[in-house]
Amino acid sequence: MEVLDKLLNVALLVATLRTTAPILLVALGGSFTTKAGIFNIGLEGQMLVGAFFAVLGSIWSGSALIGVACGIAAALVFALAFAVLVVSFRANEVVVGLALNILAGGMTISLMKAIFGTRGSIVGQKIVGLPKVQIPGARDLLGSWAPLISGYTPMVYVAFIAVPLLVLFYKRTRLGLYIRVVGEKPEAAEALGISITRVRYTASLLCGLLAGLAGAHLSLGYITMFTENMSSGRGFMAVAILIFSAGDPLKVLAGCLLFGFADAFSLRLQTFGFPSYLILAVPYLVALVALFALSYRSRPRIIRETLESMKKMLSVETKPAETGSNHPR
Amino acid sequence: MSDTSPAKTQETTSSAENAVELIDVTKRFGAFVANEAVNLRVKRGEIHAIIGENGAGKTTLMNILFGLLQPDEGRIVLNGKETVVTDPATAIDAGLGMVHQHFKLVPSLSVADNVFLGMEIRRNGLIDHAAQVEKTRELSERFGLKVEPQERVSLLSVGIEQRIEILKVLARGARTIILDEPTAVLTPQESRELFQTLRGFVADGMTVIFISHHLEEVMEVSDTVTVLRHGKHVATRPTAELSKDDLVRMMVGRDVSFDRRQRTKTSREVVLDVNNLWARDERRLPALRDASFTVRAGEIVGIAGVAGNGQTELAEVLAGLRPASHGSAMLKGRDLTALTPAAIRQAGLAHVPGDRMVRGVDGSASISSNLLMGRQFKAPWSRNGVLDWKGVAKQAVEMIKRFDIRARGPEDTVKRLSGGNIQKVVLAREFTNDADFLLIDQPTRGVDIGAQESIHDEIMRQRAAGRAVLVISVQLDELLTLADRILVMFNGRIMGEVEGDSADSERIGMMMAGLNANSAASEVAA
Repeated sequence: MEVLDKLLNVALLVATLRTTAPILLVALGGSFTTKAGIFNIGLEGQMLVGAFFAVLGSIWSGSALIGVACGIAAALVFALAFAVLVVSFRANEVVVGLALNILAGGMTISLMKAIFGTRGSIVGQKIVGLPKVQIPGARDLLGSWAPLISGYTPMVYVAFIAVPLLVLFYKRTRLGLYIRVVGEKPEAAEALGISITRVRYTASLLCGLLAGLAGAHLSLGYITMFTENMSSGRGFMAVAILIFSAGDPLKVLAGCLLFGFADAFSLRLQTFGFPSYLILAVPYLVALVALFALSYRSRPRIIRETLESMKKMLSVETKPAETGSNHPR
Repeated sequence: MSDTSPAKTQETTSSAENAVELIDVTKRFGAFVANEAVNLRVKRGEIHAIIGENGAGKTTLMNILFGLLQPDEGRIVLNGKETVVTDPATAIDAGLGMVHQHFKLVPSLSVADNVFLGMEIRRNGLIDHAAQVEKTRELSERFGLKVEPQERVSLLSVGIEQRIEILKVLARGARTIILDEPTAVLTPQESRELFQTLRGFVADGMTVIFISHHLEEVMEVSDTVTVLRHGKHVATRPTAELSKDDLVRMMVGRDVSFDRRQRTKTSREVVLDVNNLWARDERRLPALRDASFTVRAGEIVGIAGVAGNGQTELAEVLAGLRPASHGSAMLKGRDLTALTPAAIRQAGLAHVPGDRMVRGVDGSASISSNLLMGRQFKAPWSRNGVLDWKGVAKQAVEMIKRFDIRARGPEDTVKRLSGGNIQKVVLAREFTNDADFLLIDQPTRGVDIGAQESIHDEIMRQRAAGRAVLVISVQLDELLTLADRILVMFNGRIMGEVEGDSADSERIGMMMAGLNANSAASEVAA
């Protein structure tokens, strides 16, 4: 019981929300492209350049806000490049996405070397992080539960508030509707004079905006530093969540919370002395299991059909030799 | 063209009474002339049918009128005013509306959302769904097009989808409505309802332009007919002055017979015996329910029905492409449901699939390769397990001649041929396999009238050669022309059987709509 108390408490929930935020932001960004019918695996790269340039902007200007703006701008440049190649030039989405991801990884490393002369990470007092937001009156209202809603960095609030906003966006705004139509039935959009190109560009840039915010949150949020490959697969995890949620904001939220919880839980487990390499695998294991569970409904059919076709093959093979002793009736 | 004189005389009449005038419109695609100096005058308040074979330039002409294509030469006059239709928006502003052959609805949205897509009603910047539902209901009641505005389109039938497309056009204020092959997807009853609606529009002072190659419908519903052939205007005449034979002659340029083919009745051995056959569709729902029938040697059995009522599944089960969930299909005593597609072909099946580009041919391969497929291990195509390309080419040249495939030669790439010629490649391969059972799914889909006739001739020859033939077609006329017996499918079931000699389309139409044979008969009697 004591162990359970230690494992599951308010702090764990708070940690869950905190770790959910960056992946939620980037996955919500990806929801725009997913709904618009673009398979965007460039999320990881956009997030990474967002994180790097946010640190750079913060150091140069001494302002966290300008840092965030720089992060967003960098992610938007990547999103624009993605859109130009994929939408205008009809290049393969996966190839372009992967190429931009690799470019982001390499570029941040070489720029780090060129500007700061270091490898690995940028740390230092000159990086101005985002302030924590204290909600007034939260402590009086909720007592020891107050950290659940108060004391996060701004991006955490942005991420969670974005969910209902996106629901409204897809349901009630013209742009949201057009993004859905372009993704679901482009020929319908075309026939009605809706420009598919313009809608896909817009979706791509909106995606860049949120991916940039997610990156800025990574490097200016709870820790103020940039390390090589700091997005560490969150962009890919977002892609996986997007595939199974089809970009639906509420399902995206559910998927991200699951991943955030697994992440926070594994951090908590570390204090119990489990080997860290096992523990670090927990979130990914959870994600894998969840994805299997979600796709479970279609799995039996694949198995059944394989079995059936094998059976068919066998019965054809054995029919001429029905008198043979291999298959007694 | 000597037949253009009636159109010429109209030039002197006041052009303001014409809703649409196209004057000397020419459209070229490279060296190919799709429309050559075409003249079209559509009077306000009439139903004007445009007919012609595939590739005659009907759709091109309508796309020019609607601003989807720009003419190379010629003028467009809308409601007496010369207009340059640069894009569909201009056409819509001028009161035109087009219902395309392939519906462009978004399945996950409601009926009302689809109707108002692109012109959403907004309040405070947000889409006002309630107002859209209200307006859709108003339109639906005013024009007698019954829909439920809040329903999702993905749950609706094709007939209702078409109503939504028409509502879309009406919501944009169209007074002249262009329909591209509107009845291709409808049951005879649904078609009749559509015609009722169209007559209502005309009574309301609106104008309807109706593209079709279905002659009965044109005769039934239109006031005036314009015939196009090879991109040229052949004639524009009041429908009442014309007979169906006149129309065919003008469309094809020669006499074509679509009368019921003469035959002598035979009663030979059963080749295919289907018993209580069931199958499921992709969603695991029963799509074929308890089908039982036989096909005898020297007999053509037709399967009629609106597309999507289990015919595809039936064909796929018989070809071994879909597992049966219950029942049997015996081909000369062997149960097909336990065999692979290759084994079924070995057992005596030739299969002309419904979608020729997917399962009929390899579009990027040559004609001779396509004719070779499936018998690459047999003489004279191969010797000692090695392909004999000379023999392959010789066979191909013979088949191209016999089946009248219009191509530059046996090495021509298949996807460059017209739909009719691709279909002939499939037929040439399947009909020369000496199979006892021919399964032909949509023998003339997308094939023009001249080629249809020769395909029908070939099917009749196969019957005479003692093959058992199962023809699945959504075109009832075709079955009435060919079949000895017609089975009608609805919702996966065989609703009833009619003799080809005594079949009437009314009774079959009732069964296609789900009424069983007895009640259908009594309703006809009533």
